[in-house]
Formats: sequence, C-alpha cells, structure tokens
Amino acid sequence: MASVLDELKRKEIVDLLARGKRIDGRSFDQSRPLSIETGVIPKANGSARVRLGDTEIVTGVKIQPDKPFPDLGDKGIFICTAEVLPIAHPDVEPGPPGEDVIELARVVDRGIRESGMIDMSQLVLEKDKSVIGIFADNSVVDHDGNLFDACSYATTAAILSCNVPKWEIQNEAPVLVEGHESDPPITTIPVSVTMGRIGEHILVDPNAEEWDCIDARITITTNSDGKICAIQKGGNDGFTVEQLLKCADISASAATKIREKLKQTKG
Amino acid sequence: MGGRESTLVLLDKNGIRCDGRKVTEPRRIMIKAGVLKNADGSAYIEFGDNKIIAGVFGPRDVHPKHMSNTDTGIIRCRYHMSPFSVTERKNPAPSRREIEISKVIKEALQPSLMLEKFPRTVVDVFIEVLQADGGSRCAAIDAASVALADAGIPMRDMVCACAAGKVADTIILDVNNEEDQAGQADMPVAYMPNLNKVTLLQLDGVLTRDEYKKCIETAIDGCKLVYQIQKKALTDKFFENGGDQ
Amino acid sequence: MQDDKKRYVIPGDVITTGPYRPDQNVTLDGNRIIATVIGISEISEDTVRVIPLTGMYIPKSSDLVIGKVVSHTSLSWEVDINSCYVGILPAADVFGRDFSAHADELSTKLAKGDLIAARIVNFDRTRDPLITIADRELGKIESGTLIKISPSKVPRLIGKRGSMIQTIEMATNAVITIGQNGLIVVSCEDSNGLLKAIKAIRMIEEQAHMANLTDKVKEMLESR
Repeated sequence: MASVLDELKRKEIVDLLARGKRIDGRSFDQSRPLSIETGVIPKANGSARVRLGDTEIVTGVKIQPDKPFPDLGDKGIFICTAEVLPIAHPDVEPGPPGEDVIELARVVDRGIRESGMIDMSQLVLEKDKSVIGIFADNSVVDHDGNLFDACSYATTAAILSCNVPKWEIQNEAPVLVEGHESDPPITTIPVSVTMGRIGEHILVDPNAEEWDCIDARITITTNSDGKICAIQKGGNDGFTVEQLLKCADISASAATKIREKLKQTKG
Repeated sequence: MGGRESTLVLLDKNGIRCDGRKVTEPRRIMIKAGVLKNADGSAYIEFGDNKIIAGVFGPRDVHPKHMSNTDTGIIRCRYHMSPFSVTERKNPAPSRREIEISKVIKEALQPSLMLEKFPRTVVDVFIEVLQADGGSRCAAIDAASVALADAGIPMRDMVCACAAGKVADTIILDVNNEEDQAGQADMPVAYMPNLNKVTLLQLDGVLTRDEYKKCIETAIDGCKLVYQIQKKALTDKFFENGGDQ
Repeated sequence: MQDDKKRYVIPGDVITTGPYRPDQNVTLDGNRIIATVIGISEISEDTVRVIPLTGMYIPKSSDLVIGKVVSHTSLSWEVDINSCYVGILPAADVFGRDFSAHADELSTKLAKGDLIAARIVNFDRTRDPLITIADRELGKIESGTLIKISPSKVPRLIGKRGSMIQTIEMATNAVITIGQNGLIVVSCEDSNGLLKAIKAIRMIEEQAHMANLTDKVKEMLESR
C-alpha cells in the first residue's frame, strides 16, 4: 500500500510500545476480535465471511472434477487464490495482482497445503484420470492490516464447513450424483499467526497502522498437534534467532484459542 | 513439498543421502565475482547443479519517477528462470512463483544495503537462473550479495543463504531437488553473519518446535560456510596478491 | 600489506573496536567499526576509514570532473559526470549575470556531446550537483583522447602529491587532465607518447592495489 503513515502516529505507536501498550489497547500477544460466519454464499460448495478487527474477507470454495497433476494421479487438487478488491482500500488499483497479493495468495495456499488439512487421497474419482478439485478463492473486501491471517481463517472455515458433492464415473466421465454430499476429509486444523516486529517488540496480528511501522514480519502456521507446517518471513529488516524462537512459541499459544473458534464452524 | 512418492532412498542406514552426502554436508559451491562487463557489479554461482548469474546496476536514476523516494534509494529485484533451466521447459513469462521469490530475495538483501546514502536512486538486482536444482533462491541471494559488493554499494554486512530440511525424520543441511520433492521439510534461510540477523526464512513441511530450532541452527551453519566462499570470490578478484587474510 | 593498521576488507568485516571516529566507508555497530565497501582499511590516530577499490563516483564540492553535455533547458545544461547524479551547469555561469533566456542561445556556447572540465560547486544529495566552468583551467575540451577508469582508482593515478601523474607526463610529454569522477583526457602531440600514457593509466587502474606499482610503471615508460 502506498500511503505514508504520518510521523506523529508512528511516534505515538512506538512510544506506547515502550510503555508496554498497543495503540488499540490489546496486549502484545492478542489478536483482534475474530468473527467467522459460514455458508454465506449458498451457490458455492463452501464459504465464509471473516472479520479480523476491521479487515474483512469473503471466501468461496468451489468443488468440481478435474484432471490430476502429472505424477500425482492418486491425489485430488487444491488451489487457493487471493485478490484484494478495489473497494478494500483507496490505494488499491484494479488490474493484475502485484507482488504483495501474489505473496499473500501463495502463503495462504502453502499454510493449508503443507498442513495436510485435506486428505487429498480421498478425492480421487479414477486414478490418473479424474480427481476432485477444491478451489478456494479469497476476496479481500476491507483492508485493515494482516491479510495473511484473515484469509487463512476464511479459507480454513470455508473448507471445514463445505459440502463435497458425489461424482460417479460413467462412460469415462464424471457425472454428478445429486443429494449425496459429504463432509470434506479433514485431518487437522491449521492456524496461521502473523507477528510484526517493531524494534524489540513482537506484536500478534498487527492492524493497518502497526503494519506501516513494522521492521519485519513473520507468519507461522501450526497444526492441531502444535507442529509448525509453514513459515513466511517478510518485511525490510530481519530477526535474530532468539526472536524467531520466541515467535514460534507465541504463535503456538495464540493458535490454540483461534483453533477453538474454527472448530465450531465444522459443518 | 512432499506429495510425490519416490522409490529413492533419501537417507540410508549409514546416514548417507540420495546424492552421497552426509547429513550436514552441503553440495559443491563455487562463486566468481565480476563476470559481466556492462553491469556495475556481478557474480556467478554454481551451487550443486544450480547455475545462476546475478547482475547489479546502480545506484542509478529511477524510472518511472513516481517510484523514487526522496529520503532513500530503493532496491528492485528480479529473479527469473530461463526456459531451459528446468526439466520441462518453462514459459519465459514471469510466473507467480518467480514474482514471490523476487520479493523475498529483495527483502533478504534490503537490510544489508545502506540506501539512505543515495536518495532518489534505485539499485537494480537481476538474477538469472540458467540451471535450477533445489535451493535456487538461496544460491541467488549468495550471488546477488557478492554482485552488490562488487558494484561498490555500501553494505552493513554480506548476506549469505542456505537451506536446511528434514528427510527420514533427520535434519539435513542444503536440500537438493529430490529431497525438496520427496522429503518432509524444506527451510531456506538468509543470514547476515556479522550482524547476526536472519533476513529470509520460509518453511514448507512439518516440524516440531525442537526440529524448527535445529533446522534454523543448521541452516545458519550452512550460511556461514557460504560466507567463506563469498569472501574468497571477492578476495580473488580484488586482492590479487593475496592480502594478509 | 604488512602494516597492521591496513587490511583488506569486504563489507561487514569488523575493522576494530574502540573509541575511534568512523570516517569514510565505515559504519558503527555498538562499539564495532565495520567496513561497508571492498577496500583497504586504514586506522589513524583517532579515525578509521576504508579506501574503496570499487564503486561509482559521488560528487564532492570542489572536485574537478570531466563531463559530457547531454541536453539543456533554457536556463542550464545537463552534464553527464559519470555518476547517478547529473551535473547542472547554469547558463549564467557561462553568459554572465546579464544572461537572458530570450537573447542568449545555450547551444552556441556548449552543444550536446561537448566535453568539459568543470568543478563541483556544491552537492547535498537532495538535488543534482551544481557545476561551474568559470575558471582558467576549466571549460570546453577542444581536443584529446577521453579515457574512463574506475573513480576509486583516481587517487592512485594522481599519486602522493601528484608524483605518479607527473612521472607519466614527463616521460611521455602528454598533458593529462584527471577528473575525480574517473574521466581522464590525454593530449599528446606525439602518437607514441599518447599510447604510452594511455597504457600507463590502464596499468595503474588494473594494479592499483599492488605493491611496487610505481617502479613497474616507470619501467614500462622507459622501455621502447
């Protein structure tokens, strides 16, 4: 985003941090209020609207038969995209995605994919020929910082609450069998936690104003068993090893609360 | 990461990996500084079967003008794979993967550059992967940092990069292509050796918290090895009579 | 490199710790003084600096530079001074204070492609450097051969108190104008002298950091 944060605001944020406070009163390891609504797009196989503070995402999951990837004929397909809509912020211009949005989409995709959340081997219709494809598309409707976590929660909730239709192979092609939807094959619930570093302070879920001040950021995704399955460090500065270890610990504990909320969305 | 089953033995009972290396052994690395006539700075690296060339132009005027910053120079980075660099020919147009990698490489190099000294200019870093073999983004950073020093851009520190990973429940150093496809985790890391800061960190794959710590430490050990090779590349070019190192 | 107050360094190398004042091409990290470019570190009584072996030209006030006129507006010429910053030569510098944008046509005095010897008047990085040619030894260069070397090698080419450049001029009868920005103009009536002078300059550029350079150059100049 191109806006220039005014100097006074930046100073205010930094001064508050020195006194152990954040600009919106949260503690350092606290996310903003999270609300998750599923089934908001009935035409999609799964959907969710997530509000993380004032950041809002609408995600739709479409499920349809597809050809498998070469070498992966015994696994279904999962594809995740993200788009920041021009209505989300005055600085967003319509047009092909820039590097920030491409990074966002790929990080959200990897967080879900690497966790093994969806058991892809359960999504095969005919080995090497026809599989089920799960397509999750995130639309950022309102941008107030930390799109990584908001999109991740929306995608996860949409997948958890989706209905997978049934197809049968007839004359070499998949044919829909109405009225036989099933739950998706879920093995774990990944939760991403994004932290920003401002000076020595590590803050969970930076809002838009904090995001403009951060020296560096890191997104860590953990599974239901507490294992780390994806990491993306970003930003113009670095972290010490001690800070990286601290971030892993913070993300594991912050994730458990959020996982409870996501569990409730299971269809 | 993973997904592709393989009959390849990634780690045998003697602790030897699929390409004959030991668990903490990196692939062969060679770096040469100053390989291009027209670039202000350049470097060529061979890291395993990766063959990558980096060229730096700048500081120079910024076009389009609206991108320039009155307080500081900026860095732009393009990581690009040649169509012949991978087994199945790659379309020359930039893919989303290349765009993301360009961004993370830029962010890995940025903390080392003292761009405040050159307001309203840009330092362009162009990285061309001529042949790819797993760990190319780390090798790219290793070459780019040498090219930046070769160009005389003031830097707080060099940036060295190397990946660590996990195969057969064992943490390994420097993940090759087969290990990336069939292994359990791949973690590229970039590091500034004198300032002790990590500037690139990504992970694909599943690690416990202790494995995460071990992986970072192993990768940093690899970075320090690469640093010696970067130093040698610059010393060979600039201090021909050996210096007193 | 026997002198342990001098060392080859690359960016990030810790030169020393302690109560020194950081000078050129170094930065302070805590109490460690770190090199920021490839070069030769030098610790003097109270300062530490690095003499760079690479890098582009950054304009400094009162530097003599050789530039090439690339364009002009109605009020000034733009001059390529081999830097990322473009030199600005105001029209008043040449036409005098009574310069009038209507009456005086800039291209009558200096045209695109002309080489000039100029001096940097001031430069503070927030805007392009101002240059002047209002001095006896400055102005349009009418003849000679232009050579470009890395600006970091210029001090070596000049030598202590000008000793190296004088050696070359005397041995070849050439007149050599050295710009701090790495551009050099060599004039010589004798074509052999010209070739020798250019050869000497290239030799110094390639071997600037090596020992016994002065002797090697003298030896080359004396040979046929």
